[in-house]
Amino acid sequence: MLTKYDAAIGTEIIQSFEARPEMLVQILHGFLERFRCVPPEAVPQIADELNLSRADIHGVVSFYHDFRAQPPGETLIKICQAESCQAMGSRALTAHAREVLGIGLNETTPDGNITLEPVYCLGNCACSPAVMVNGSVLGRVDEADFDRLLDEARG
Amino acid sequence: MSLLKEPDLGTPASPSTELVNVDIDGIRTQVPAGTTVMRAARAAGIDIPKLCATDKLAPFGSCRLCLIEIEGRKGYPASCTTPVADGMQVHTQTDEIAKLRRNVMELYISDHPLDCLTCSANGDCELQDMAGAVGLREVRYGMEGANHLDTPVDDSNPYFSFDPSKCIVCSRCVRACDEVQGTYALTIEGRGFDAKVVASTGENFLDSECVSCGACVQACPTATLMEKTVIDQGQPEHSVLTTCAYCGVGCSFKAEMKGDQVIRMTPYKDGQANHGHSCVKGRFAWGYASHRERVMDPMIRESIDDPWRKVSWDEAIQFAADRFKALQEQYGRKSVGGITSSRCTNEEVFIVQKLVRAAFGNNNVDTCARVCHSPTGYGLKQTLGTSAGTQPFDSVMDADVIVVIGANPTEGHPVFASQMKRRLRQGANLIIVDPRKIDLVRSPHVQADYHLPLRPGTNVPMINAFSHVVVSEGFTDDAYIAERCDRDSFEAWKACVLKEENSPEVVSRVTGVPAEDIRNAARLYASADRGAIYYGLGVTEHSQGSTMVMGMANLAMATGNIGYSGCGVNPLRGQNNVQGSCDMGSFPHELAGYRPVGDDAVRGAFETRWGIDLDPEPGFRIPNMFDAAIAGTYKGMYIQGEDLAQSDPNTQHVEAALSSMECIVVQDLFLNETAKFAHVFLPGTSFLEKDGTFINAERRINRVRPVMAPRQGKAEWLITQELAQALGYPMNYETEAEIMDEIAALTPSFSGVSFQFLDRVGSVQWPCNDSAPMGTPIMHIDNFVRGKGLFVETDYVPTEERSNRKFPLLLTTGRTLAQYNVGAQTRRTDNVVWYHEDLLEVHPHDAETRGIRDGDLVSLHSRKGEITLRATITKRVTPGVVYTTFHNPETGANVVTTEYSDWATNCPEYKVTAVEIAPATHRSEWQQEFTERAGRRKQIVD
Amino acid sequence: MTTRIFIPRETSAISLGADQLADAVAAAAASRKVSVEIVRNGSRGMTWLEPLLEVDTGSDRIAYGPLTADVVDELFDGGFLAGNKHPLCLGPTQHIPWLAEQERWTFQRCGINDPLSLDEYVAHGGFSGLAKAFEVGPQKAIAEVTESGLRGRGGAGFPTGIKWQTVADTMADQKYIACNADEGDSGTFSDRMLMEGDPFTLIEGMLIAGFAVGATRGYVYLRSEYPLARELFSKALTLARQRGWLGTDIEGSGFDFDIELHIGAGSYVCGEETAMLDSLEGKAGVVRYKPPLPAIEGLFGKPTVVNNVVTLASVPNILALGGKRYAELGVDRSRGTLAFQLAGNIRRGGLIEVPFGAMTLRELIVDWGGGTMSGRPIRAVQIGGPLGAYLPASKLDLPLDYEAFSEAEAMIGHGGIVVFDDTVDMAEQARFAMEFCAVESCGKCTPCRIGSVRGVEVIDRIVVNDHRDANLELLDELCDTMVNGSLCAMGGMTPFPVRSALKYFSEDFTRVANDGAGVAT
Repeated sequence: MLTKYDAAIGTEIIQSFEARPEMLVQILHGFLERFRCVPPEAVPQIADELNLSRADIHGVVSFYHDFRAQPPGETLIKICQAESCQAMGSRALTAHAREVLGIGLNETTPDGNITLEPVYCLGNCACSPAVMVNGSVLGRVDEADFDRLLDEARG
Repeated sequence: MSLLKEPDLGTPASPSTELVNVDIDGIRTQVPAGTTVMRAARAAGIDIPKLCATDKLAPFGSCRLCLIEIEGRKGYPASCTTPVADGMQVHTQTDEIAKLRRNVMELYISDHPLDCLTCSANGDCELQDMAGAVGLREVRYGMEGANHLDTPVDDSNPYFSFDPSKCIVCSRCVRACDEVQGTYALTIEGRGFDAKVVASTGENFLDSECVSCGACVQACPTATLMEKTVIDQGQPEHSVLTTCAYCGVGCSFKAEMKGDQVIRMTPYKDGQANHGHSCVKGRFAWGYASHRERVMDPMIRESIDDPWRKVSWDEAIQFAADRFKALQEQYGRKSVGGITSSRCTNEEVFIVQKLVRAAFGNNNVDTCARVCHSPTGYGLKQTLGTSAGTQPFDSVMDADVIVVIGANPTEGHPVFASQMKRRLRQGANLIIVDPRKIDLVRSPHVQADYHLPLRPGTNVPMINAFSHVVVSEGFTDDAYIAERCDRDSFEAWKACVLKEENSPEVVSRVTGVPAEDIRNAARLYASADRGAIYYGLGVTEHSQGSTMVMGMANLAMATGNIGYSGCGVNPLRGQNNVQGSCDMGSFPHELAGYRPVGDDAVRGAFETRWGIDLDPEPGFRIPNMFDAAIAGTYKGMYIQGEDLAQSDPNTQHVEAALSSMECIVVQDLFLNETAKFAHVFLPGTSFLEKDGTFINAERRINRVRPVMAPRQGKAEWLITQELAQALGYPMNYETEAEIMDEIAALTPSFSGVSFQFLDRVGSVQWPCNDSAPMGTPIMHIDNFVRGKGLFVETDYVPTEERSNRKFPLLLTTGRTLAQYNVGAQTRRTDNVVWYHEDLLEVHPHDAETRGIRDGDLVSLHSRKGEITLRATITKRVTPGVVYTTFHNPETGANVVTTEYSDWATNCPEYKVTAVEIAPATHRSEWQQEFTERAGRRKQIVD
Repeated sequence: MTTRIFIPRETSAISLGADQLADAVAAAAASRKVSVEIVRNGSRGMTWLEPLLEVDTGSDRIAYGPLTADVVDELFDGGFLAGNKHPLCLGPTQHIPWLAEQERWTFQRCGINDPLSLDEYVAHGGFSGLAKAFEVGPQKAIAEVTESGLRGRGGAGFPTGIKWQTVADTMADQKYIACNADEGDSGTFSDRMLMEGDPFTLIEGMLIAGFAVGATRGYVYLRSEYPLARELFSKALTLARQRGWLGTDIEGSGFDFDIELHIGAGSYVCGEETAMLDSLEGKAGVVRYKPPLPAIEGLFGKPTVVNNVVTLASVPNILALGGKRYAELGVDRSRGTLAFQLAGNIRRGGLIEVPFGAMTLRELIVDWGGGTMSGRPIRAVQIGGPLGAYLPASKLDLPLDYEAFSEAEAMIGHGGIVVFDDTVDMAEQARFAMEFCAVESCGKCTPCRIGSVRGVEVIDRIVVNDHRDANLELLDELCDTMVNGSLCAMGGMTPFPVRSALKYFSEDFTRVANDGAGVAT
């Protein structure tokens, strides 16, 4: 996983979509996969290579919840906040998570280890509440499960 | 007089010709199919509340104030996005709708400061108006909820401020920047309640991609985007319709006033050249008119080494008259002459040339068009029969392929550029022929199909190669040619362009452009249903300027691209009235309407009207004047609003000529460079003080109306008239209108024109006479003005100015968006924040081999002279080419340019100078002299 | 001989340990030197039994579940490869009543095949619908869909045949099929299950749609919250392309068609068709006004069929078996089947495909779902996602069809059913509806952009009895403004859950003792 921005990689990502403006959202996902965020330095480059304005790119980047400007903590935990999971106690689970981590939603632990985010439905509603840890989905997560996955995350 | 409020029909007109009937609140009305309910309602006199809708932008449907009820449909559709249907019955005012609108407005106001009384938009705020219209009386949500009231103001732009706390997120500014201006500098950041307008990526406006055209300010319904002049001085109280005094687009503006104070200039929607759009110059850069450096008193001096002495008008005018008379007695009738200004009105220009012909008794009159578009006049007259462009600007909206040659519209003619970009976004193809990578080659949402970066000075072979492809590949429109053009000349031209030397392959070696690109570009233009050519000074300011103009006319005729909308050969003329100054008879060989002074009948008409015999011999052109001055036979000159010393080529030569003269009268707003060599200074008036007409690049005669009395006490035409009288020629006009009446009486193409007529119809494109009472938007419709279109052979004669080992680079010049020509006006406005010094563009390769880094001072020397300026390293220029602007006198760009000129019209070859550059540590000798002299020659004593 | 074992590779099964189970089975088999082939199939939809393992005994597929890795050795010891009994043995899969009593039409293959085996797909009748379409031609293909009575399964329920006909009748140099896989409604997962469990069916449905209306390009807009569906579906696209089911001159028909997979970026409103189109064009997913309908001016301004995954996946069978067969299922204007999804606080959650009107909501929740997971009484049920109304336990005897639901001011929507027990605070749910709208609003229209935020604030005031009556009235007017004034369903339907909560559970909207007299003015 890359941390420092590298324009050559940026071009590589953009070219993998033949620099088609209609692929902008997909291109931004490409940046997300390589840099775990859309680095601000990439915006003017994307604008130039797609022949769009910087404003065009910024408008799209800032619209979608997925496109963060800074990489998250090493472990990204998303707790579903939607109705099905609420019906199975996701509010309490979220409160528990905030308490044991000492951070709020959309925050990262001071050690940069864990970022806690809300998510609105993972399509795992027949076994709520659902939690996503670095991309993999867990079902019927209770507080004990959560503490266990924290231990794993912290190694 | 009151403030002119332009009606806003909410959504653009529907192009449909089919009419449908609709019933709105019981009023039956008939509108074109596809018209929105909102627009139909306004047509029926019913105003539906609105905030996000405006007729200059596509419907958006976000504010939800314009909701209506339609019988047989459920819900409350938005009237701005709902097209009418035949027999539709609409209700715009019901109790449900009233409540709905009030509740929507209540939501708006729950996140809006309640400071109407102290708000800069107070009295001119659509939000305020709508709150009143829907009868909002309370905000039950309170003002403690989430809001944006503390968002900081962005004051970075010198002309307008951005206060997001007042923004209602209607996106009108964003859409105006996209749809109207085409810059895409604004966007909505974020989403939902956090959605907010930002420039580029959220930086301040000045650092963003914003070009300060003012479209967003114009579109904003609240005080969010507001002119600083309004914030400082309050709302204007009356407005006057007038015409911008900058480029040849000729935008119509409303001067919005408080007494005789201009509060703001706002583009006029009914302006046929700009349709309510503007650029940073016309919209904001008018402050020079009241700049402290503007001279308010007539001044004289015995010698140019004396300080200036303020005197009365009478003394100054008498002093000038006496000197001119004395000079003519001593050196002969032809030893004096005059220059008319392309910045002044037709009326002012007309009587200056009349003064020369009638009072001086010779034809030594010329105009600055000499140094810009004289080849246009000559070339188009020869081939088509008229010394002017063939199309209205709107014609570009019908073009399928657009060719831009030697012009940079986004900088030089921004408002037309926006219209062209609109057409390009609709899918028209674009070919750019220019040594530089101008914005139209590639910028957001614009991508030229071909950019042919030719070596400066090789336009003619390029156009010949286009014609070669057209002829050799059978793209000629033979029916059109047979019907409308001169057969023999066509055959001769055909043979000429078919020569091997004109094949793309050979031309490729001359121009440095790949033969394949030339071929494909030529094919693209030739196969277009409607192909349009637009060009600028990059075509005319060459030793083959006239040849190139004729070459383009040939090509357009051969492909049948003249006489229809979407086609034509279109000069983008530089100055506000350069077309008019030429039309008015400013050339030494032509009287008004381009008719030879040698023609007895023509001259006779003027002699009768003016009651004096005129010289049948053509007089001096500007370069001849300089040569004669140096030779000692040309001694006096009356210069109306032009700065020869800065704008003409080979400055040292010009300065030598000017220094050797004994009476130079300069009439201008400022002590310009030429005034340093003048004996009499007659303060002129700005366009805000003038009553008259300008003619733009599409031959449109626009009214210029005074918004204030002449600041220096005298209208310019009156100054000229009094000088004529002092010279002993009786000139007794009462008003400017009278002068136009005389122009109309003496000029067939203007015979239908009068102030009265223009005030009635707004504007008109000449010819305007009995055969075209409402003017002539498109020329040469059924046949060419000259009869049969004439093909002229265009063999390429390269310029004498060649690069060699000593001068390996070619310098070419141009201008930037924020500045205008010699900068006399724009340098005296806040436009300097965008461009305050002339920079030299150098390709990285040329810079590296000479050890030049970005921002370094470099000395630029040619066979003529040397100057020092700052380098900017860029790939906009091709290797071997350097580029600069001529906006600042102290740069002295023309110190290095040569006096090589167009073979037919002597238009100087500004665009090609062989130069060498090297790192420098100090300003050049000429520049040091300049600074030293500047102080001395500008001294004034009371 | 090698025994085939089926362990789902499906998000929910994996979220409950299917991967660990598969690893354990493989390890045990290896150590016991028995040869097994583990097929990672899709889910049968019986999420409550996941991870579910099936053994192919030759005669039957015997199901075991729900399993955990630590019972694997037990299973081997007990001879489960022969289908032997075990406390967790469920017998032949197709005889499990929960599954057996369903009417699988769209999900017929889901959970049976290896989702990425084209051969198995064809072996199970795959592409016979497309073949039929090629045989009868575009117009007859549309006619079949029209006759089937199929309506959009995304929630709006617009007749699919009519939409297709409009696109077919609109002249254009390019047309598109845009599949909406932005399944954002809480309580729904049928799109995901289909794309993970039987992706070729969606591809076939899109091929038929493209052929029928004259479109050569298809787009699938899949939400980024579904990484596994993304992985499996893009593999399916590659396989289909390799085998000529996508590309030029498909099956010698002269018909060209290809599909591009686009991934959303966390934006619920992009499930709204016009916002989705803008997102597919690479822009912010901002809602467009209608008309023009996407069928006339859609993606890149061209005529576009916008259909939900399940809608398109229902088409192959409609062509293969005939629209009439499909229309025979269901009641009045709700024809065919719907894949309901039981979610939230439910004992037997999962996907149940049954004909419309076959049962009531209560039967579905109680008989199939087994009531709440917590064992506590059902208090509220939300159907149709976050924009759907909340029904109280007393109102569950509704037949499952579009009309019956709209009469009850509710909507079936995408078929998601979220059950709450009696611990739910309905004021909190109402507040969440507004909060969710505030988080997900595209920000274009005023009622949604500002109204949702004010809605949260007003509810907060109501529950603490701050000017209770005035604020209740204000909330009611705000709901009217959002319903009547919003540009799209996001703001337009957010009031439904709010109002239903107020209507049926008003008692929850008083959190502190009523001192209204003290505060109210």
